[in-house]
Amino acid sequence: MSATSGSSAETSAADRITAVADRLRAAGECTPRPARDPVNEPMINNWTEALGDRNPAYPAVAPPAMIQVWTMGGLHPERSEDDPLGGMVEILDATGYTSVVATNSEQTYHRHLKPGERLAVTSRLEEVVGPKQTALGEGWFVTTRSTWWSGDEPVGEMMFRVLKFKPKPATQASVPPMVSRDTAFFWDGTKLGELRIQKCAACGALRHPPGPMCPRCNALDPTHIVSSGLGEVYSYVVHHHPQVPGKQTPFVIALVELEEGVRMLGELLDVDPEQVKVGLPVRVRFVPSGEFALPAWEVR
Amino acid sequence: MTPPGGWPTLPELAIDVTPTFVISTALATRDFQDVHHDRDKAVQRGSKDIFLNILTTTGLVQRFVTDWAGPDAFVRNVSIKLGVPCYAGETLTLSGEITAREGSEATVRVVGRNSLGDHVTGTVKVVLP
Amino acid sequence: MTAAIAGIGATEFSKDSGRSELRLAVEAVTAALADAGLKPSDVDGLVSFTMDSNAEIAVARELGVPELTFFSRINYGGGAACATVQQAAMAVATGTAEVVVCYRAFNERSGHRFGQFATAAATMPTSSGVDNSWSYPMGLGTPASTVAMVARRYMHEFGATSEDFGRVAVTMREHAATNPNAWFHGRPITLADHQSSRWITEPLHLLDCCQESDGAVAIVVTSVARARDLAQPAAVVSASAQGSSSDQYVMSSYYRDDIARLPEMGLVGRQLWRQAGFGPDEIDVAVLYDHFTPYVLIQLEELGFCGRGEAKEFIADGRIGLTGTLPLNPHGGQLGEAYIHGMNGIAEAVRQIRGSSVNQVRGVENVVVTAGTGVPTSGLVLTRDR
Repeated sequence: MSATSGSSAETSAADRITAVADRLRAAGECTPRPARDPVNEPMINNWTEALGDRNPAYPAVAPPAMIQVWTMGGLHPERSEDDPLGGMVEILDATGYTSVVATNSEQTYHRHLKPGERLAVTSRLEEVVGPKQTALGEGWFVTTRSTWWSGDEPVGEMMFRVLKFKPKPATQASVPPMVSRDTAFFWDGTKLGELRIQKCAACGALRHPPGPMCPRCNALDPTHIVSSGLGEVYSYVVHHHPQVPGKQTPFVIALVELEEGVRMLGELLDVDPEQVKVGLPVRVRFVPSGEFALPAWEVR
Repeated sequence: MTPPGGWPTLPELAIDVTPTFVISTALATRDFQDVHHDRDKAVQRGSKDIFLNILTTTGLVQRFVTDWAGPDAFVRNVSIKLGVPCYAGETLTLSGEITAREGSEATVRVVGRNSLGDHVTGTVKVVLP
Repeated sequence: MTAAIAGIGATEFSKDSGRSELRLAVEAVTAALADAGLKPSDVDGLVSFTMDSNAEIAVARELGVPELTFFSRINYGGGAACATVQQAAMAVATGTAEVVVCYRAFNERSGHRFGQFATAAATMPTSSGVDNSWSYPMGLGTPASTVAMVARRYMHEFGATSEDFGRVAVTMREHAATNPNAWFHGRPITLADHQSSRWITEPLHLLDCCQESDGAVAIVVTSVARARDLAQPAAVVSASAQGSSSDQYVMSSYYRDDIARLPEMGLVGRQLWRQAGFGPDEIDVAVLYDHFTPYVLIQLEELGFCGRGEAKEFIADGRIGLTGTLPLNPHGGQLGEAYIHGMNGIAEAVRQIRGSSVNQVRGVENVVVTAGTGVPTSGLVLTRDR
């Protein structure tokens, strides 16, 4: 992920978001929001049952990581007027950053909580950073800090960060390969996580792409070996335009020379295009795509 | 100070992330966001399937450490960063090692991986009995 | 030598012709016949590209051509261009037909654009569809990206740079600037413009890629003897060749020992020089297929104008300009004039032989013309009638 400066049209949205963030941050701690229920054994038991946690300390005490559960808004949440995350969600929704994903949670617990305790939570807006280009799309990171109280006693704190983002347009699936009786073994292999190279049973020649007849000895007896999946970039391109089904531009496609001596094309994944060069060592990775698995590469 | 031979490694914990697991943990953590229980909605929003919510991931990281530390340990802090989503159908494998120890408090570095990569990385501070 | 080009014709070159591809075809054929001083009733053969959407019988019907004794199609995209003339020449030489018209007509900009990702090409239930399944699903499915893969390796092996590719584009736009029929008439570019144009597929910038065009070109082929009685000076077909090389694919021959070259064009070149009885030194103008700049450099090497990896030095000193020792694509090529799948290049070669080009090179005797690169291809040598 890297920061980027927006265009002028985005600047006004950014200004509005920043203005709301400044106001909410200045407002500080919101009014306490009480938990619906006291800390209680049935909810603890539901939690430990679902998560498979057999720690015998529960339900006499609550699992510390449940602290956020007690004050969750529930199925029909009502946000208080001054709830800072609610305020940020509103402006970000209004400016097109409609999707949300949690990215960080740092919880500190001061002591075990026991059934019967009634909690309340207060929170404040700590930081709003954006717009950032992320793998999910352009978005803003919103950081809040919450404190849980049992009466006047602070019993836990949390830093919570979410990414509010504009989802990228849904990509179509990659173009499926046209499979023939001569090439089915290759695509059967990728589904099993095997990179298969055709081998002539008569003369032993390896070959990719495969075909029905060995061009070296004309035998009609193909078999295959399983490649180590290791190779080096022989050539590569960085594709920008036009859009390609199933891909997010820009992306790198590498022609890889495998250890076994044959070449094969595939997308080079999770790489900064600037870092790619001829000779870069890579290994195979299989990417599910519809009914198929496509061979692709990653840097090793 | 690091003891000779390094700090111990925690036993791995593999979680079979079935749809039932995703949904029951989301509801047990009172998280009713549709992406954690409604596959059609999750796909509409650009996900491959329903996926674990962060409260559950926090809880699993805690469980991974207390499974090793025992019932008398007290977890003081869980700090996590999420990476790739953990979709229904994945196996989430948690592994960890102690990276520091100060008095009775140990810091455990935890990684939870699935077939897409690192779903969660983080640290847990636990007071050992 | 028995065949000659007696007539050339074209529509205007545009981004939106506003009419059907069949209409473009018959307009160009009509213009070519008029240029030669022939009538539709003289035509007995038609040749086009496999990719052309206009059936020979439809073209013949519209023109009122009464009988066809020869009709043929050449495969592999732009690689067909010069081979249409070769087919016509062979038909004339064998007496199969007497007047054969080669045509190519499309709305390639306003209709089906070749520069887009061609999902249909990857899903054909043919051996070609199976071939494409080793590249298209992986995201390599535009002409530019397939050329870029070879260009990157060529740069790696020979130290060529994007600026070297850019010098081809700058020269083509310079030539087009003084050609009123060129889309880029009056619009030259600088090397800086080339370098700052957006990436299409690295290492190719936008200005390394030819334009997309609507239009049509037709070429009339007959015997040299008959051509001498017609309206225009004959452009004699002194050599014509096709070539497909070992482990050949369409645009993605990546599995050969050496990919930083175009061996099928080398094969075409060897045949051309053998048939013509002379070599590259006797060539006065080269019309090389320029859908993407890197392949212009590699063609110069494959045809023997310079050694392997030396094209960047060969073109660096203005040698391919109108006043250079090897003027290249005086009409501006497909980068500057129009992308009519190489057929407009054949027409320019004929004009250079006749001495009628807007960017006429002096004293032209022999012109070499090539067809699409990266695919099984073809070439011609045209010679002034003596």
